[in-house]
Amino acid sequence: MFARKKTENAQVLSVMKAKHHRYEALVKAFHTDIYRYAFWLVKDQSVAEDIVQETFLRAWRSLDALNDEKAAKSWLITILRRENARRFERKQLETVDIDDVSIQDETQQADDDVSNRELQRLLGGLSIEYREPLILQIIFGFSGEEIADQLGLNKNTVMTRLFRARNQLKEALEKQNEQRGRANG
Amino acid sequence: MDELEFRRRIYADPETTDSDVVEAAKEDEKKRHFWNEQKKLDQQLKQALKVDVPDDLANKLIWQQSVDEFTRYKRKNRWYMAMAASVAFTIGIGLTMWYHQPLSLGGQALAHMQYAKVEQAHSKLPVDLNMVNAKLASFGASFSDMIDGVEVANYCHLSSIRSLHLIVNTPQGKMSVFVVPERNDISVPNEFSDSEFHGEGMSMEHAKIMIVGEKGADLSEMKKAVTSRLQFSA
Repeated sequence: MFARKKTENAQVLSVMKAKHHRYEALVKAFHTDIYRYAFWLVKDQSVAEDIVQETFLRAWRSLDALNDEKAAKSWLITILRRENARRFERKQLETVDIDDVSIQDETQQADDDVSNRELQRLLGGLSIEYREPLILQIIFGFSGEEIADQLGLNKNTVMTRLFRARNQLKEALEKQNEQRGRANG
Repeated sequence: MDELEFRRRIYADPETTDSDVVEAAKEDEKKRHFWNEQKKLDQQLKQALKVDVPDDLANKLIWQQSVDEFTRYKRKNRWYMAMAASVAFTIGIGLTMWYHQPLSLGGQALAHMQYAKVEQAHSKLPVDLNMVNAKLASFGASFSDMIDGVEVANYCHLSSIRSLHLIVNTPQGKMSVFVVPERNDISVPNEFSDSEFHGEGMSMEHAKIMIVGEKGADLSEMKKAVTSRLQFSA
């Protein structure tokens, strides 16, 4: 009887161990992209970190529900979006106008490309419905269809939003170049 | 493909491999240029999106998971402990209440009726008022007149409570009168019975009285006799 209990315990332990390995692999594979996605969603480092922590905690708790490793990415994104929505329910955060605030923190390396920072500012300035599909496309390499699935939109809407997002960025960049040109000239 | 549609398609997905987009680009140098520009912009966007990830975020995520697991494990154990404690507590309370529950003496009296059958056989000595009163004295009680037909007057223990047991011969058959001291931890049912006997209980000033007779016997005469004669000194 003791022997049986022992093997049962050993089995439980090895199952736990496997789960831990799985979780660690999930964290290592996705935490960077998921954090960046969260950051661009909420535009705040500490809030992003909170959401990511909450997301992975929930992922851990329902790790058994994740059957398809390929689906892990969109699974995590789904959890994260839900977490973010929950945060909004908790407190209706006043939205800060992006022009007043620098997206990039001060610790960013000094030799950061000016255009890089400029782009970040412009990205932050896009409204969320344009920004989010773009982030999903660029960070996660999602196709239009995958983005549509993830956000629960139809594909045409997604394509239109991607188009508008890039169009807005492009126009803003051109406008700046003009201004710079005028200032220089 | 016209210019606008081409731009639309490229904006939607600069990495597209759709053949009509590719064809259109091949044919038109301006379109090619636009596409390359877009690809370049996308590369820049890719870079721009790569904000710094907090140091040790991965380790933090793994750490918080083990903390969560630990606290949940503890909580689970705590749940079991609480359950066990609560069960133990309930049993404890239950036992104490059961223990302190006023003892109901009806059943005890009935049991003594069996004993009474044997008892009468070997004590044929006449019982007089003095003897009964001497025994009642310890209850602070006495009979003013003798009850007719008392055959036996003896102390007996009803569930370890010393009581006086009178066996009385009546026209209704043999009856027993139990005089039980007044105590908080005992109770006397108003009526009780088994297959052979039935009894009634009542409370008097400083004692409780139970009268038990054979099934069908009328106890009211005896009740009257006892209540009218029993006096309490204190």
